[in-house]
Amino acid sequence: MDYTVTSLKKKLLSSFNDIQVDISDEYRLIVVCKKNVVITILSSLKNDGFDHLALISCVDRIKDNEIELVYILTAYTENREKGIMNILVKTKIARDKAEIQTVLNLFENAEPYERELHELFGVHFDGHPRLTPLLLEREYEIPPFRKDFDTRKYVQDVFDQVPFVDNKKEGI
Amino acid sequence: MDRNKLGKWLKSPGKMGQKYSLHALYFCTGCGIIEIPPTITARWDAERFGVIPVATPRQANLFLITGYVSVKTLRAIIRSYEQMPEPKYTVGFGSCPINGGMYWDSYNTIKHLDKYIPVDGWIAGCMPRPEAVFVAVTHLWTLIDKGMADGYKNYRKNYNSYRANQEKVLGKLEWPPLFSIKD
Repeated sequence: MDYTVTSLKKKLLSSFNDIQVDISDEYRLIVVCKKNVVITILSSLKNDGFDHLALISCVDRIKDNEIELVYILTAYTENREKGIMNILVKTKIARDKAEIQTVLNLFENAEPYERELHELFGVHFDGHPRLTPLLLEREYEIPPFRKDFDTRKYVQDVFDQVPFVDNKKEGI
Repeated sequence: MDRNKLGKWLKSPGKMGQKYSLHALYFCTGCGIIEIPPTITARWDAERFGVIPVATPRQANLFLITGYVSVKTLRAIIRSYEQMPEPKYTVGFGSCPINGGMYWDSYNTIKHLDKYIPVDGWIAGCMPRPEAVFVAVTHLWTLIDKGMADGYKNYRKNYNSYRANQEKVLGKLEWPPLFSIKD
């Protein structure tokens, strides 16, 4: 089997400069790159056989004032010799201007992931056709999964303000 | 039939009928629903107590809320509750509907369910065992006997306050009021 993390690392490093590739273990490769080359890296990995975007995840690094996006790639079962491997493509975007190009042209199943991140982390995906609410019912000033969202204060301001109904009193 | 209860049956047959045929609407919210399949099937067999699951709210008169209630679920709960015919009884299952439980500081979870719909009984615990459902059911029998399970009457009586509370959390409700709103 010529498809191992080391061979893939060598291949990635030869075709892209300005990226950093770490081997986490024999099944996991971590690629750290700039925001503008994410699409190129993802499409080249897709052509290599990693044709399944398992998840787009997000980390709010409030101390660095950055938001980290993690694209997790793997392969479908017919490409099983590559499929055991997971590739994590990480990129960082500014926290106060969280914008990145959508990957919908490459992976159609990214749509709900991007909508979810837009809703919960406030990341704007350029080119996404409908960034409408997906899970939440109420509107929040700060997206609720960001670290500076104070849940306790929010609960005190909203849910604790609703009064109990006094059933002893005759109809109000 | 239990001969000792013959007097009760003759005195108030309606009440006895309501007691022993609790048709339960198992609202599959949160993690508590995992306790319901063993409760209704052979091992604990809820039908011994006259509790059977039904398909729609329109056939039900016992509403089991099994777990945390998010804002989106609250909308569905209110709609289902208003569709149920009277008399109807609500039982909150688990500690989350009581006071939020482990979601006490969550941004999207209703903390006290009884602010929005009337609740007749609570089953505390995380999770309660299936036996606790039967304790609640037998306790509900006593309440029905004494006329104390009057949540649906309170809902009618204080509909203004309940509707106002619902609108505070959900915004404008898209369905018309169930009862006329008094000024």
